[in-house]
Amino acid sequence: MTPKFLVEVKDSGTTVVVNVQGEVDVYTGHELNNVFKDVIDRGKKEIVLNLENTQYIDSTGLGIIAYAARNLSQREGKINVVSVRPQVMKIFEMSGLSKKNIYFFDKEAEALQDIS
Amino acid sequence: MDYPFTVKLSLPAIDSYVAVARLTVSGIASRMNFSIEDIEDIKVAVSEACTNVVLYAYKDGQDGAVEMNCTIYADQLEIEIKDTGSGFDVNEVKARGLKEADEEATNLGLGLAFVESLMDECEVNTVAGKGTTVRMVKQLTSIGVV
Repeated sequence: MTPKFLVEVKDSGTTVVVNVQGEVDVYTGHELNNVFKDVIDRGKKEIVLNLENTQYIDSTGLGIIAYAARNLSQREGKINVVSVRPQVMKIFEMSGLSKKNIYFFDKEAEALQDIS
Repeated sequence: MDYPFTVKLSLPAIDSYVAVARLTVSGIASRMNFSIEDIEDIKVAVSEACTNVVLYAYKDGQDGAVEMNCTIYADQLEIEIKDTGSGFDVNEVKARGLKEADEEATNLGLGLAFVESLMDECEVNTVAGKGTTVRMVKQLTSIGVV
């Protein structure tokens, strides 16, 4: 069974916490992309992306995250990624995206504290 | 059953079925006793190849299929992802490679780079107007039970 895909958004001042549950691929990625676009359109500067319940991501998902990070960099914002599983981290590292306005934290509280 | 033998799957080249290819190959790799890490690598590689078919093989809304042939050997899994779409310039795509990872919807080069990195062998054969076959191999580091 493919796990149910769910994106949950919580506002916290200029920051938004985005929780992603399930697998991010070419099918589900549209939903994440729409969430990022909405967050950026609302003028938010930082996104805390919690991947604790994300079992899988591929180049489509990485492209979406990278595109959002690049848009946020234009307003001096960034993406803090939280709780990345080892296999998902491997994909980030292979892509080189871990050096592009995307930062990694073990806990959501640490990612939020980094922004405040 | 004597090795090798092949499991064949034909799917519509639409985004919602990429996960079906991923799940299928995951089941086969699990049956062969690949490690969890290797299974995850194989899933990503198959997804990337299938995603390329979905996004780039068939133009102008043309319907098409993606075929996955998994050939099971005692010591390796060989996977072919095939389409009969428009084909593409492999060298041009590889030249883009990882450099365009920060562009929206430019996962073609990144996807192929992932396949090459995650699998032990990767070979792309593409013919303009005839289609593309991505052949990839993962070696079993310890022989499992099929």
